[in-house]
Amino acid sequence: MSSTAVRAMVRSPFVLIVGAVLTWFIAAFLVWPNINVLIATFFPDGSFSGRAAEKLFSSQRAMKALGNSFLLAVALSITVNLVGVFIVLVTHYFQIRGSRILFLGYASTFIYGGIVLAAGYKFIYGDKGIVTSLLVKVFPGMDPAWFSGFFAVLVVMTFATTTNHMLFVANALKGVDYQTIEAARNLGASTWTILRRIVLPMLKPTLFAVTILSFLTGLGALSAPQVLGGRDFQTITPMILTFTNSPTSRDLAALLAVILGLATILMLAVMSRLEKGGTYFSVSKVSSALQKQDITNPVANVVVHAVAYLLFAVYTLPVVLIVLYSFADGAAIQTGELVFGSLTLENYQRVLTQPSGLRPFIVSVVYSALAALIAVGGLLFVARLLQKYKNWVASVFEYLLHIPWILPSALLALGLIISYDHPNPLVGGAVLTGTTVILLIAFVTVKIPFTLRMLKASFASVNSSLEEAAAIMGAKTLYVFRRILLPLVLPAAAAITALNFNSLLDDYDTAIFLAHPLVQPLGLVIKANTDGAEGVDGVANTFVYTVLLMVITGVTMYLVYGRSSRERSRKKKLPAVPPASQVPGPGLPGTPVAGEDAAQPAAPVR
Amino acid sequence: MRTLKTLVAAAVAVTLLAGCGGGEASPGASGDASAPAGGSGDTLVVYTNSNGEGRGEWWTAKAAEAGFKIEIVGAGGADATNKLIAEKNNPIADVAFGLNNMYFSQIQAEDALEAYEPSWAGEVDKELGDGETYWPLVKQAILLGYNSDKIPADNAPQDWTDLWTKDDFKDRYERVTGLGTATAQLVFAGILSRYQDDSGDLGVSDEGWEQVEQYFQNGSPAVAKTDLFARIAAGEVDMGQMPSSIIAEREKSFNVNVETVVPSVGVPLAVEQIALVKGTEKKEQAQKFIDWFGSAEVQGEFAQQFNAMPVNKEAEAQANPEVVDFFADLKQQDIDWDFVQENMGAWVEKIELEYMT
Repeated sequence: MSSTAVRAMVRSPFVLIVGAVLTWFIAAFLVWPNINVLIATFFPDGSFSGRAAEKLFSSQRAMKALGNSFLLAVALSITVNLVGVFIVLVTHYFQIRGSRILFLGYASTFIYGGIVLAAGYKFIYGDKGIVTSLLVKVFPGMDPAWFSGFFAVLVVMTFATTTNHMLFVANALKGVDYQTIEAARNLGASTWTILRRIVLPMLKPTLFAVTILSFLTGLGALSAPQVLGGRDFQTITPMILTFTNSPTSRDLAALLAVILGLATILMLAVMSRLEKGGTYFSVSKVSSALQKQDITNPVANVVVHAVAYLLFAVYTLPVVLIVLYSFADGAAIQTGELVFGSLTLENYQRVLTQPSGLRPFIVSVVYSALAALIAVGGLLFVARLLQKYKNWVASVFEYLLHIPWILPSALLALGLIISYDHPNPLVGGAVLTGTTVILLIAFVTVKIPFTLRMLKASFASVNSSLEEAAAIMGAKTLYVFRRILLPLVLPAAAAITALNFNSLLDDYDTAIFLAHPLVQPLGLVIKANTDGAEGVDGVANTFVYTVLLMVITGVTMYLVYGRSSRERSRKKKLPAVPPASQVPGPGLPGTPVAGEDAAQPAAPVR
Repeated sequence: MRTLKTLVAAAVAVTLLAGCGGGEASPGASGDASAPAGGSGDTLVVYTNSNGEGRGEWWTAKAAEAGFKIEIVGAGGADATNKLIAEKNNPIADVAFGLNNMYFSQIQAEDALEAYEPSWAGEVDKELGDGETYWPLVKQAILLGYNSDKIPADNAPQDWTDLWTKDDFKDRYERVTGLGTATAQLVFAGILSRYQDDSGDLGVSDEGWEQVEQYFQNGSPAVAKTDLFARIAAGEVDMGQMPSSIIAEREKSFNVNVETVVPSVGVPLAVEQIALVKGTEKKEQAQKFIDWFGSAEVQGEFAQQFNAMPVNKEAEAQANPEVVDFFADLKQQDIDWDFVQENMGAWVEKIELEYMT
């Protein structure tokens, strides 16, 4: 695990091959296009001007918005971790009544987000919202517009972005060795001490990774501040988008994006430093799967139950209302007046009977699936190598792979266009604009940073002695990778694939510039039907598309998660298996290691 | 479990293959899935920002009847403009329509349009386009509208500037929260070009910038995804900017009545245009399409269907008489478009940075 010399690294043919492909990919699709677009932006006439910085730093509004974005990013890094860890513990660690139902409620953020989510919260807590109306009846003096500004944005975004906790932290939690917990309890440790001293430290790599994501989400906040921020809490992203669209102000957009990007990279560096040197897997030779813990203190038990169900209500109410409102007419949606008698299927009819029909859905599903699989598949090797070899070459590669986090997707797309609208030797002399491939490339690249972060965190919790044992017994690199490492990180990889897939389904920013005219994805159709005139049908269509996307993403998550968890619960009902039988001789060549449990996160070999 | 395992295995196999090949596989793969747009048969690729509310489908069907196979690529005005400029070295589109004169002049400045004089050039007012590359189709007035159930005509504002100079209207009008849309840019073109002053900042006098400052300080900020008409219906505001074509439909949907203000200087007009994209491989076919598209008969049908105001004089007869009357009485603001086009980018930047709060 200690830092490995570069020389030792390049001795492995596996490293060389992955390294060569990676170098080419980074050079062709991450560095070259973005250098091109940045040069075109900052050196429009061949000479650099400090204009952008001067303009931005003297603008009160820009500085305030930038400050708000940073405030939100820092605040979210804390609140999302608090709420996220709580819901993970409630659903996976403590013995809570109805935890499966709670899980479904908390999992609602898997399937939707963006402007509709913010609107959903507004239906409930906004000045005409359901909860507000109730509160005003109880406390007649209160301000009906209480739910706005920083507080409202923070609350909504906190509850909207716990997805990564539910997927990855929960996954890591399942890998915690139960024997350590039992041992601690026998030594008299309290529930709280066990949690703080044993369980949470094991989750560190994953917690660090999701913290970076929360920070990034806060920095890039767009729709929640627009809907709920009011006059006092607007963020920088809307300004970046406006300036990106205006050729004469694009340098301002690029500069702002670079500032946010550098902050993210700084955060990344801090987290990497904190993560360094720890051991995040169980070192016991015979580990056993986690069992749910009772909360012994009756008062604490009642409080945790109450909070858990309160959160359940907070999570599920917006979804219920969005589904209901998707049947209402656009005027009712915007004025917030829901009349049950007036709900019709008209909106769905209008959306689904368009001449383009299902085609955009299929195009998007294919593109998103391909991009998600390629990103995860390719980065499995890369993340593994970056996790194993810790030297300056690996660090350089790692930071280069985060380039897509620095620039807004519209600029990434423009970079690809100006770099590949003529035969370019980097891609074998091909012209990529106007082909179906260029959008796929863009989709893969935008998903690289997220995929890499989460995969690396998941490799970090793999016990390296398994691999060493296999290697000593003569297993080849690829064999070890395929039979030992892959099964262990597969649950995380599947989750990442599903999230990538979901997030690309309705992409507009990239597709608008790169889509082939005859193969247009869903994002463009949604935009055409919901934007421009934010009229009556437009808003109703937004809700319908959201619900339709919820169905697709819900099915995706079910395929990845629902089935495996059902398997798991069925297994639990089997008579207790003696722990020893769950520990196959790790890594014996030819022994199916954890094969049956490929989809089971609590891989028993740990 | 079995099926899931197989599924996962298959997925991983595919990924590994794809992952190893990386982008190498990509150029090869492009061959089967698609021919580059340039060679996509006889299909004309048409960029527009005017495809919403069923217009895109309507045009595709009408074009097919006339023997043109078209594929419409919809994008917002700014996006379509940027896309056309970014693609100028290897254009994908053959024709672009629906963008207004401000957008087309940006594209023309980047040399991405091909000069062509359509067969119907004599039936339109050349002044509304540039007389060379882009040609006018449809007129749209950018108006200040107010809730006429609440405000009698006598008490209504007479001009935009009344909104912030008269206390009655302060905080009762909706102001924009971004200048990304064509409508918002045209409102400011209408206000700022009244204060043209070569010695002022960006060609506008201090008094002009004062107006902008007041506009933002005294207005009620627009709410994302909530239409102005919804806010009027809820009583949050009484007035705001609106393009002429949407008024009738919104009045009905939100059950409000709106009257519009015609300032003594007139109102700004946005004129949607059509143009041939430079470097198209289907030039001849694209020219025929433009000839068909802007013809009196086709424009007339479109105007009738979508309540639009055609520029083509012969098409007026088919348009909705109410719309034609409205435009006949409308005083058009005399705007120096060269001045506006030259400065709009810088104006938007200055307003976003200094005046929007």
